[in-house]
Amino acid sequence: MTTAAEPANAKIVILATVACAYPGADTVGQAHLSYPANTYVLRIPAPVMLPESFYFRTLEKGIGGIIVMSCGEECPYEGAYHRFAARLDRVAVRMKKEGYDRRRIKLSAICTVCTKAFLKEVNEMNDLLKEIGPPRKGEVAN
Amino acid sequence: MPEEVQTNDQPENREAKEPQIGVYICHCGGNISDVVDVQTVAEEVKKIPAVKVARTNMFMCSDPGQEMILEDLEKESLDGVVVASCSPKLHELTFRNALKRGNHNPYLYEHANIREQVSWAHHGDPAGATNKAIRLIAAAVAKAVRLEPLKPIRVEAFPHAVVIGGGVSGLTAARKLSKQGLGVTLIEKSPYLGGQTAQLNQVYPTEEKAEDLLRMLVEEVVDDSNIKIYTGAEVVAATGTIGDFVVRVRNVPGDTSAKGIGLIEKKVVFRPFQGCTVRSDRPCSPGDELEVRCGVVIIATGFKHYEPRSGEYSYGESPRVITLPDLIKLLSPDGPTGGRLEIQGHPVRDVALIHCVGSRQVDGIHEPQPDGRVNSYCSRVCCTATLQAANEIKDRFPHVNVYEFYRDIRAYGRGHEDYYEKASGKGVLFFRYTPDSPPLVEKTGPNASRPLKVRVRDTLTFGEDLEAPVDLVVLSVGMMPNDISDLVDVFKLPVGTDRFLQEVHPKLRPVEMAVNGLLLAGTSQGPRDITESCASAAAAASKAAIALGKGYVELEPFVAQVDPARCDGCGLCLNECSYEGALRLTDIEIEGKVERKALVNAPLCMGCGSCAAVCPHRAINVSGWTLDQFDSMVDAIAAQ
Ligand SMILES: Cc1cc2nc3c(=O)[nH]c(=O)nc-3n(C[C@H](O)[C@H](O)[C@H](O)COP(=O)(O)OP(=O)(O)OC[C@H]3O[C@@H](n4cnc5c(N)ncnc54)[C@H](O)[C@@H]3O)c2cc1C
Repeated sequence: MTTAAEPANAKIVILATVACAYPGADTVGQAHLSYPANTYVLRIPAPVMLPESFYFRTLEKGIGGIIVMSCGEECPYEGAYHRFAARLDRVAVRMKKEGYDRRRIKLSAICTVCTKAFLKEVNEMNDLLKEIGPPRKGEVAN
Repeated sequence: MPEEVQTNDQPENREAKEPQIGVYICHCGGNISDVVDVQTVAEEVKKIPAVKVARTNMFMCSDPGQEMILEDLEKESLDGVVVASCSPKLHELTFRNALKRGNHNPYLYEHANIREQVSWAHHGDPAGATNKAIRLIAAAVAKAVRLEPLKPIRVEAFPHAVVIGGGVSGLTAARKLSKQGLGVTLIEKSPYLGGQTAQLNQVYPTEEKAEDLLRMLVEEVVDDSNIKIYTGAEVVAATGTIGDFVVRVRNVPGDTSAKGIGLIEKKVVFRPFQGCTVRSDRPCSPGDELEVRCGVVIIATGFKHYEPRSGEYSYGESPRVITLPDLIKLLSPDGPTGGRLEIQGHPVRDVALIHCVGSRQVDGIHEPQPDGRVNSYCSRVCCTATLQAANEIKDRFPHVNVYEFYRDIRAYGRGHEDYYEKASGKGVLFFRYTPDSPPLVEKTGPNASRPLKVRVRDTLTFGEDLEAPVDLVVLSVGMMPNDISDLVDVFKLPVGTDRFLQEVHPKLRPVEMAVNGLLLAGTSQGPRDITESCASAAAAASKAAIALGKGYVELEPFVAQVDPARCDGCGLCLNECSYEGALRLTDIEIEGKVERKALVNAPLCMGCGSCAAVCPHRAINVSGWTLDQFDSMVDAIAAQ
């Protein structure tokens, strides 16, 4: 058992792939490892299905951070991972244009037993949100 | 304070009446309710307008739990169900099936995970956990409101199986498939049936003759009129999906010994170290090709031995350094010396057996394969096979000294440990080495009593440097998968980091691959012995029979679906699709007007949703995972 860090005020949405990251998040719970409760895991077959606009809509709703936990190169769908990585690149460009802190969206590969990596991603995002608070267009002038 | 789930940006909602959802919150006997205040959750969730009932139960998965849902579906005329309990991996299917049992559409169901991802992860923060559970359930309700009844995709199943590979695994699979009433086509690349088992003399743990075992299997398969066998044949192409594949087979080019595509002679002849020969009763030309229609394909392409690098333990530099398969041949009455343990024309007096050659390799210590990876896995069979050989030498040539150099003895199966016990009893000497200081095989000088010596730092004697003079060194080489890159391409087979084929889940779906209708048998999946290979082959045959037994196959309906009213036929989605034939543009007539629309071929769609992301009108979505559903879930989470 571990004790979790104090959750930040802003919420974190985690998109977790059915094949890898969602079972990975389950493994964390099975091991009774703790993390802050401001984290909401959404199951998704492949994050490639979400358009760029999804990310901006989510930020506009006040979600402070989005972690996309994918299968990485182990993605069971042909070509999907590379298409998805290219999409996130375009999201980053638009974030810059709209003045969002780009660290609010994070991509990582989480396997079904990657408990350490899961906790690291969640804790890092939570720490970041404690520092930068809720999202706002034009919050950074980069 | 829970608030209304926003429904304004929700054009999908065609019915005037807001769907009525039933929410069921599980205590999981305390696993959830010890942390999450389930009563508060129910009260808060009940305030969501779409929620008609919100109830708690000690164990939702129990019969009374499921009954409660079915009763409410009738009494409260619910349009959808949300259960908040453990991970959907465990019970999503349970509750979908419950709905089905009550004659409700099983896809009007959404699951909220409040155990693995709430109570077990936030035990130090009950208030936070309770709040999170409320938000996750609100999100599930928001999705449930937007669910549509779905029908599984039904594909007609052709009751025939293709088995690729004619080793014990392929033979066993063929035999079991036929017993289940399916037609079988067995395709073997070499001219022989039997695979690597034909290289063996007696097999552990039963000590049967490999020949007898193979003969029995092959005769049964050959005599079976439901099974067609093609040797010297290979698969060159395949199309279709589960239930209806078409596999193209041709003669292995340039293989003159191959009797080619054709039925085989009934008489089975066993040739030591090669296998059972089979003969075509119809001549064939090198280019011969044929097409086989089948509902499933079983891959049983087996393994090859690790080939030691030149110089690895002096392999290739001294003819006295051989591999375990070489030793098995040497000990066999059918071998080059008629079973006498001789090397270079002289009887062997001292033999060293070195374990873990080409297995359990360590990055940075061992030389990687061409793909840059070392064989980090254990090959499983070599320990017992080596101990078996040591026993045989001691039994037949009691004066020969046998030394085993090992890292760990992994005699893991039933009856395997006996070989270790017996070998120790017969005076086999064991030395234990660590991967960073493996034994050294060296030539000795002209005056030495033996031509080779093996030096080792032995951890059994607490790191003493020991030396054994020997005239034969045997390397227990591990297993590597056969090169089947052509099949990997043809069928898009998933390959693991160890290069063996990969199952969907080692425990839950151990013989299925991610591609529907493709099954695994034997050592194509990883190192295993004959017992285990045959068990997995039998499992694959059962899976095949289950899949094809009903005459049709039902696939999950989570594939792309086009809303023709919204599609303007722009074709952007087509550029994103990786699956040939899954998506196309077609002209359809709508109210007398011909319009171009995207059309999904459901059995070929894998449901990745690449198409959905680029449609400017949200006209294409993956059923059960629509973008509107995702948006509404985010809204529910974002709410206070
Ligand atoms: C040294 C050693 C000793 C062993 N001793 C024992 C023992 O005593 N007891 C025991 O239980 N197990 C033993 N084993 C393990 C045993 O050999 C295997 O479990 C068994 O041979 C696996 O059978 P298989 O059918 O999976 O693969 P294989 O025997 O490799 O057969 C695969 C077949 O597929 C064919 N094939 C390959 N690619 C294609 C293709 N593309 N198209 C068509 N056909 C193809 C091959 O030609 C071959 O005929 C031993 C293994 C080793 C290495």
